[in-house]
Amino acid sequence: MAVKYRTGPSKIVMAAYLLPSLILFLFVVIAPIFAAGYFSTFRWPGGKKMSPVGIQNYIDMLHDSIFWHSFGNNLYITVFCLIGQIGFAFLFACLLNTKGLKAKGFHRVVSYFPVTLSAVVVGFTWTMIYDYSYGILNFLLKLIHREDLVRGWLSETSTIMAVVSIPLIWQYIGLYLVIILAAMTSISSEVLEMAEIDGANGFQKAVHIILPLIRGTLIISVMLCISGNMRVFDHIYAMTRGGPGYASSVMAQYAYNVSFMQMNMGYGSTLSIGILVISTALVAASRALLTWLSRKGAVE
Amino acid sequence: MIAFSITCIYPVFWMFYSSLKTTRDFESNIIGLPKAIQFTNYTYILTSSKIGYYFLNTVRNTAIALIFIILFGFINGYFISRFRFRGRKLLYTLYMLGMLVPIHALLIPIYILFSKTGLTDSWYTVALPNIAFNLPTSIFLIESYIGTVPREIEEAATIDGASFSRTLFTIIFPLVTPILVTAGIIAFFSCWNEFSFSLVLLKNQNLFTLPLGLTMFKGIYQADYPRMMTTMVIAMVPALIIYFSCSRQIIRGMMSGAIKG
Repeated sequence: MAVKYRTGPSKIVMAAYLLPSLILFLFVVIAPIFAAGYFSTFRWPGGKKMSPVGIQNYIDMLHDSIFWHSFGNNLYITVFCLIGQIGFAFLFACLLNTKGLKAKGFHRVVSYFPVTLSAVVVGFTWTMIYDYSYGILNFLLKLIHREDLVRGWLSETSTIMAVVSIPLIWQYIGLYLVIILAAMTSISSEVLEMAEIDGANGFQKAVHIILPLIRGTLIISVMLCISGNMRVFDHIYAMTRGGPGYASSVMAQYAYNVSFMQMNMGYGSTLSIGILVISTALVAASRALLTWLSRKGAVE
Repeated sequence: MIAFSITCIYPVFWMFYSSLKTTRDFESNIIGLPKAIQFTNYTYILTSSKIGYYFLNTVRNTAIALIFIILFGFINGYFISRFRFRGRKLLYTLYMLGMLVPIHALLIPIYILFSKTGLTDSWYTVALPNIAFNLPTSIFLIESYIGTVPREIEEAATIDGASFSRTLFTIIFPLVTPILVTAGIIAFFSCWNEFSFSLVLLKNQNLFTLPLGLTMFKGIYQADYPRMMTTMVIAMVPALIIYFSCSRQIIRGMMSGAIKG
């Protein structure tokens, strides 16, 4: 009997169990990648007419300033979120770990709440907060008599990227807070008490003891943050659809515009491949860099 | 910290009580409490829009997806964890690849593939990507959990004469419910909030989901914030209830999912 279980049931039974999910997965996740590769070699305005153009689309993409501008916006959001999300999450986690703060459970539950909201809801909520006449932000500015700062927050090209990044940071601080908090609570209290006896203050404890001990978790958070921000779309679509102009466009939004607004499916496929390659490369590169850094840190 | 906690929930309260105001009341004082509580926004939205459809569509999409995510996740997790069959490594790598693929890179190719095969605009359309993209995480969670279940249980069941399928579903399935619940919760929020695939794969308004429906309302109620807020409250309520009634489990589940994913 034991032998039978190591090899498992007959091949046919096994296939019957595994194939349905495999077929679905191949069709929805793997096949589209190859399809995109194929369609990217055509000029194809959506209808029946498709003319093969070879690698012309790829050459166009390399010279497409809007695409690279959108990629730059992705990077901008990523850097902003790395600092904002992980930085704040670390700070709050330290605060939640101190003895003074009350109602810790409440803070944890409440700060995680935005994570479970739909990106569209978050986007619209902040659209309302930013609104020129009825938004909370301008209302508060008027309250403190800074009428000079009142503006239509979502229509100013120069500040738009910071403005659309804030809701993203806001929504996901809770996620990183919970992850970092879990790592912190696994640090034995003896270590921290020893540091206190040696006269370390809160800041020194955070930087010299907690930070190195949760390095592994921080690396995972950074990876999550990078890969998450490379695929930002829903928030941007809900708030600005990439506007004004292409000021707040991200890669996914631009590919969407090209494919469905300009009906250029061939070039849209090319952009999809571009996004795939860029994000995979970036995630792989940052992973390599961080592993290298942490190994170097461990040696020191 | 307290200030941050306030910013996390205040916008929701703001929308909630503003949805009980008249437009006039809202415009005269945007953050004040309603002068008189009135439900006309709710009756208006519920009777004059298709939000009921959107709501039911979202429930249906989420339910279909959840059933298959849990079933497929359980089957794949079990086989990958227990048996050393040919192609096991390949299968596992393939699913793990699914976690790395940035889903928005697939938005356009999936649209092309679905429209060529006539899969767009059906009741099951959005459930398909929902299942496929949530499968890797649940397989990953379930697979490592099944490793902790002792093999002797299956062997005993086989000796007692239970068939393979019977053992799988009546003995193992109940044993792993804790992790199935965790995987289910993670998948629930992702399916309930799914937006981009609904956006490109659905043209028929009767099939729209809540997030997609909201983008329609934005156009219609551009200047009418209380009504817009009413629709958002309606869209949020189920997730809100589920979150606050089992937040402990959700936070724990998301943590294991996030760290492994």
